[in-house]
Amino acid sequence: MENMVVFENNSFGKRLKSMVKVDFRRMCKSKLFYILVVSALIMPILMTVMMTMMDGSVTVNQQTGEETVMQGPENTWQNIGTLPDGEEMGGMDVFAMCNINMMFMIVAVFTCLFISDDFRSGYAKNLFTVRAKKSDYVISKIFAGFVCGACLLIAYFIGSMLGGAMAGLSFSLGELNPINLVMCILAKICLMPVFVSIFVLISVAAKQKAWLSICGSLGGGMILFMMVSMITPLNSTFINVILCLVGGILFALGLGAASNKVLKKSSLV
Amino acid sequence: MNAVEIKNLSKNFGEKQAVCGLDMTVPMGAIYGFIGENGSGKSTTEKMICGLIPTSGGTIKLYGKDYKDIDVRASIGVLIESPGCFPGLTVWDNMMLQATNLSIPNAEEEVIKTLKLVRMEGAAGNKYKNCSLGMKQRVGIAMALLGNPTLLVLDEPLNGLDADGMRIMREIFLDIIKDGKRTIIVSSHLLGELQKVATHYGIIRHGKMICEMTADELDENCRTYIGLKSDELNRTKTLLGCKYSRVEEDEAGYIRVYDLTTPEEIVTYLYENGICVTELMTDKIGLEEYYIDLMKGGK
Repeated sequence: MENMVVFENNSFGKRLKSMVKVDFRRMCKSKLFYILVVSALIMPILMTVMMTMMDGSVTVNQQTGEETVMQGPENTWQNIGTLPDGEEMGGMDVFAMCNINMMFMIVAVFTCLFISDDFRSGYAKNLFTVRAKKSDYVISKIFAGFVCGACLLIAYFIGSMLGGAMAGLSFSLGELNPINLVMCILAKICLMPVFVSIFVLISVAAKQKAWLSICGSLGGGMILFMMVSMITPLNSTFINVILCLVGGILFALGLGAASNKVLKKSSLV
Repeated sequence: MNAVEIKNLSKNFGEKQAVCGLDMTVPMGAIYGFIGENGSGKSTTEKMICGLIPTSGGTIKLYGKDYKDIDVRASIGVLIESPGCFPGLTVWDNMMLQATNLSIPNAEEEVIKTLKLVRMEGAAGNKYKNCSLGMKQRVGIAMALLGNPTLLVLDEPLNGLDADGMRIMREIFLDIIKDGKRTIIVSSHLLGELQKVATHYGIIRHGKMICEMTADELDENCRTYIGLKSDELNRTKTLLGCKYSRVEEDEAGYIRVYDLTTPEEIVTYLYENGICVTELMTDKIGLEEYYIDLMKGGK
């Protein structure tokens, strides 16, 4: 029996732990992650301060002569969502489109580049040759994307408050209470896996073609993007959080299984 | 026990059959030289062994277990095509990532030890993208060696290495298999280098294994020849060609006689015909010539 080789047992937990550790180690070393988080922090500050400064300024269309009044934000939370009793903003309402929900699309850039880097550098083959199962890889990537997304949402939230404070805007929540605000952010965080699992599926299909995965992810994300403000309004309650959590888990499981299938059926190099 | 046992392996890429009915046996403790022309299916076979591309048919067993067995796969070290490093990270960071992936308990110590082994300890702080081709190759081998793998699959590991690098690599290979439990599959076009370390050979052509043998068997199969130089090379060649069935001139200007004969007989024959032999030697053809002969369909 001297020729016997004894192999160490590699349980699911052990494999996943090392895989997640690798991804987090990489994320912490990635400049892109910090750039995105800092951008998420600065973006609402710049937008709020600039729009407040431009409040009331009039732009005239040279051809039609039509005048458009720039309307700045009146409340800090306009960066997060519309207050239930808030009036629709007239003129150019930048905050209707550029708000915290943009983070759901920005996380696509991180997820796609994170995964395409694995295939482009050949690191994926190191992972898959030594014990990593395709399912471990998918779970770990969804988790990394989720954490990045959560960081972006929190950074944007903090940025919004800083921007509001700097621009001297109201922090009043009207008939809402701070719990609604916390639930809104929590619901958005819980909804993140829905988007991340779509981005992971597209990225593992596109492999090293980052441009393809980014374009596909932005396109795919757009389909659900409009729903985000409806599912996670500023007056969110615990129900919204649970719904988003269930949706996030279901999407992560379903699309994760699809990503796993894609990896199993295709070449990894 | 065999480290790798492949039966009837096949791989199709659409209409193209890259590997068809390949059988391969790699004994434990061997340095298995995997040889073949470009596009013969070497890399495809290696990728299938590593589970990087799905097979179209056949079975692969590693240490008697299915190749998909996670516990067995955890002890494979691989260098296929590229080392799999992130260009923006340093050599150290890349190694530490792989150590984390392998759950090596004393990762830092192990990384230092492995980098020393490939003489890269001084370049650990270099960004991977700034490393030279030879350094990148060494990093790739270091990555493959991390975690003391029982099976190493190396695709063209000697590419880009200088003479010293090749010598180091030979020493590393011999060191790895010392305990008889580790196995190396190495494909290379540098057959002269491969012959210095390989204990077993597998020659693949058009996706099929055409021959597997040990280094001793290769030695037996390699024909002995008598090589000579004379003052009249062309006349010598003509004369020898009249008497012996296979006479060739090699790149170094030696006339080789492959027939079963003795140097004395040849020298006497040429002397009788007025030719003076200036140099004479007896040698065997190497792996490279054996391989070329085999590819030509010769014996």
